[in-house]
Amino acid sequence: MTNKIVNATDSPPPGVTDKDTESSSEIREQLALLRDSANRFTAGDAHIKRARALRGTRPGYDLDVWRKMAKLGWLGTLIPERFGGVGLGCAEMATICEVLGRSLLPEPVTAAVVLAGGTLLYGDNEELKSELLPALTKGQMIPALAWRENVHHCDFLAVDTRAEETPHGVRIFGAKRLVVGGVFADGFAVSAQSRSGIVLYWVPSAAAAPGLSFRVLPDGRAIADLTLSGVEVPASHRIAGPGAAITALARAFDEALIMTAAELLGLSTKVFEITLDYLRTRVQFDKPIGSFQALQHRAADLYIQQRMCRHALDEILSSVQKPDLHPDTRGALASRIKARCSDASLRITRDAVQMHGAMGFADECDVGLFLKRAVTLSAWLGGAQVHRRRYAKLALTEMAS
Amino acid sequence: MQNWDAMNDDDFRMEVRRFIEQNYPEDLRFLAHRPRFNVIKPWLMLLVEKGWSAPHWPLQYGGMGLSPRKLLIFMDEQGRWGVARQFLGESGTVQLGPMLIRFGTEEQRQTLLPKIRTYETIWCQGYSEPNAGSDLASLTTEAVIDGDDFVINGRKIWTSSALDATHMYLLARTDKQAKKQQGISFLLVDLATPGITIRGIKNIAGTTDYCEVTLDNVRTPRHNIVGGLNQGWTVSRSLMGFERINTGSPRRAEFAFKRLEALARERGLFKDAGFLDRYTQLGLDLADLKAVYMYFADMVSRGETLGPDLSVLQILSSETNQRITEFMLEASGDLGLTVSAGEDDNEGVDALTPFLVMRAVTIGAGTAEIHRNIIAKRILNLPA
Repeated sequence: MTNKIVNATDSPPPGVTDKDTESSSEIREQLALLRDSANRFTAGDAHIKRARALRGTRPGYDLDVWRKMAKLGWLGTLIPERFGGVGLGCAEMATICEVLGRSLLPEPVTAAVVLAGGTLLYGDNEELKSELLPALTKGQMIPALAWRENVHHCDFLAVDTRAEETPHGVRIFGAKRLVVGGVFADGFAVSAQSRSGIVLYWVPSAAAAPGLSFRVLPDGRAIADLTLSGVEVPASHRIAGPGAAITALARAFDEALIMTAAELLGLSTKVFEITLDYLRTRVQFDKPIGSFQALQHRAADLYIQQRMCRHALDEILSSVQKPDLHPDTRGALASRIKARCSDASLRITRDAVQMHGAMGFADECDVGLFLKRAVTLSAWLGGAQVHRRRYAKLALTEMAS
Repeated sequence: MQNWDAMNDDDFRMEVRRFIEQNYPEDLRFLAHRPRFNVIKPWLMLLVEKGWSAPHWPLQYGGMGLSPRKLLIFMDEQGRWGVARQFLGESGTVQLGPMLIRFGTEEQRQTLLPKIRTYETIWCQGYSEPNAGSDLASLTTEAVIDGDDFVINGRKIWTSSALDATHMYLLARTDKQAKKQQGISFLLVDLATPGITIRGIKNIAGTTDYCEVTLDNVRTPRHNIVGGLNQGWTVSRSLMGFERINTGSPRRAEFAFKRLEALARERGLFKDAGFLDRYTQLGLDLADLKAVYMYFADMVSRGETLGPDLSVLQILSSETNQRITEFMLEASGDLGLTVSAGEDDNEGVDALTPFLVMRAVTIGAGTAEIHRNIIAKRILNLPA
């Protein structure tokens, strides 16, 4: 990664290598099948209607939809078979997330399955995994990750919440904010400082409930703030100890960034299709407005943004699949795509509103829903600027020194 | 005869790399300008000697017979070492050769291809005219049959490297009655023919790289037509595969980015958070441009046909180039304006020349606006 930017002359050139084209076409076919199946699930605009109707309600999610996705195996995509999952990779998960993003599905798949589920999966407590992960894949247990605290910067290492040791486990003190999926979670993975560094504990929702309060995101979905005033958690609920917790958080965080980018690409693609339809059919000055060059070039620019996201995502998905990937490289790739898709989706959704004219400004028009979801997901886990800086830190450090 | 295409990819890459590193003149690496022929000639002659001057031509015509996949490696390695574009953009080997192989007569192939490959003839491309730029099909240069010759009258402009060329392939109107694109023929002309005047045109970067070529009753034998009468438009649009993704290669943007890095080191700009933010943004733009390029390069490697969406790559590549050089000019401030043009200038990094040179990249290979029209009409199906 570093080499790619810093010293292109000495890096291996980005040309074609001896990769097995046959197996890569097989992979493409599999992904296409998965995409078809996801498209069938989201066909029509039922989920968009649901997303509109559920705005501002609590929990704002439909458990039936959740269980249907579990049945399709989607919730266990990244989870190994020994924990009841399917054991596939990021490319498969991203395919699903992209299609869900297109449909504005309100259920927080990335937050629950990729971010919180990933934290569980990449932790070091095998017993806890055996207990929680199969239930997660079946849709019987929904986790949420409580990592965000009240600091300006968006960094999962900025943890003030404390885990104080007791004879049987820990007591947790602290305030977590903006827990996506926290509204209907069955338990929370909570990051906290222990005497030996950051650790992760599993807090069942029954124990967490008294400290929960709710707010509404720009896209109308409810989220939770979580105050922990000495909640007692047994030692067996430690998801990951010092060291392992940071590794687990980092990986889950990076994968969630990539999946969020895929969702953003999905919703951008869809809203662009809607906008193109409008440009072809809306008539002013006796012509479809899409015949005007000012709008054509604007549309062409959005298309370029979309293609850039598409190909960058595809490249990153094939890179993160490599087994010997350095965490910094993965982090740089994840931040790169989150920055790109955040910027592009905001631009595409803003322009979608503009090109719809006064209709685009009306709440009854769906493009506003896309705009607000883009605003929400772009900021979640850090916006474009945050991730460009993280990328600079991870991939361009040699340069700055 | 060595069968390069049968080699394993990595071995081939290493062989190409070794040859370039051992033979390419150090002082010609990463030139901002296209060099004049006499400057680059020693290198081109080495390629000829090695049998590498026409890598994508079939073996039977003296090429290397490389598949698209091997070709990309071949080009990558040249880009990596900063080999001058003279080869890559050279009209004879890259453009005319493949068109002759596709549309030429057997006699044309036998007589013309060997001389193109050895640079015995140097070709320039006569397409644009003073009143036919983006709207190329409105060209008015006329060719009339007179006995065994075509007699050509007209003016060609923005003809790159015409001062070094011995020959020109051009588009001329041979049927005024036919629809715009259908009355055009593809003709070959010896620039030593009486009636040809070549005037160099100085560009805003201060070099004289392109020319105006006036044709006044210029005669060329009738057999110097490629693809048949009134088939010129089809011939000129027939470039395929790597010949087309060439101008979208991220190598130039990468080179510009490296110069930006050199400037930043020299001036200590990395300590400036504002600079670092924009530098990072450009680095990410470059990384994502490469991803787009590789998508099309992989298509070429698989032998798939490129579509109109190639305009996406063309726009991204040229505009990323511009953004980098624009920022570099801004970052260099007044000091960057006073260094003299020249790549190995010891006084500092020249920010002005690349900025000026890159003004052409959104114009030359089809303007960025024309490419946006193509996207809007042919991909997005927006109404006319």
